[in-house]
Amino acid sequence: MFLGRVVGEVWATRKVAGLEGLRPLVIAPLDERRDPAAPKVTPVIAADPLGADLEQRVVVAFGKAARVACGGDGDYPFEAAVVGIVDDFDVPDAPADWRAGGAGGR
Amino acid sequence: MLIGTVVGNVWATVKDPTLAGLRFLVVQPFTLEGESAETIVAVDPLGAGIGERVLVVFGRAARHAIGRGHDVGFQAAVAGIVDRMELEDGRLVGPTRAQDR
Repeated sequence: MFLGRVVGEVWATRKVAGLEGLRPLVIAPLDERRDPAAPKVTPVIAADPLGADLEQRVVVAFGKAARVACGGDGDYPFEAAVVGIVDDFDVPDAPADWRAGGAGGR
Repeated sequence: MLIGTVVGNVWATVKDPTLAGLRFLVVQPFTLEGESAETIVAVDPLGAGIGERVLVVFGRAARHAIGRGHDVGFQAAVAGIVDRMELEDGRLVGPTRAQDR
């Protein structure tokens, strides 16, 4: 699991069965901004059963946890899902952009 | 799951029998600061072409997307061809790089 910020949404008409009705969000992991020399951030695309909004901080889980969060441990053609919308956090050494926007944010 | 751009095709005649008939694509992951240096290989049931942006899934999700059961020799699959991706900073990521705004 990781803490991320919702930075976008994805639309795809041509897709495999099982992705219908999914609202995939683009999530930028927050911890990757700690090191200025860190590699470029590849955002994670996650299913969103909770209805998170742009710029909200969310907890994203993978694998079985993601499937359960989306309604049961069945067969889904995705492996990442938003499992929590963050109200608040206390990470004293976190960079400022964990809380305030980030590139292009508020 | 990640979004990437199809940058190539791979052909392999000698391969695991569970890969028979599957197309391999070379996909370059999208990053928020430009294209990634790394590439990944994914099987593609949808027929994506070079330059198209695709949604790539991994592991069990990839096996389910292909539908050949869970004892198969791949771990990444194309599950969608992207129409567009809208980012909070106002960027519009299109179906190809040329259509980004």
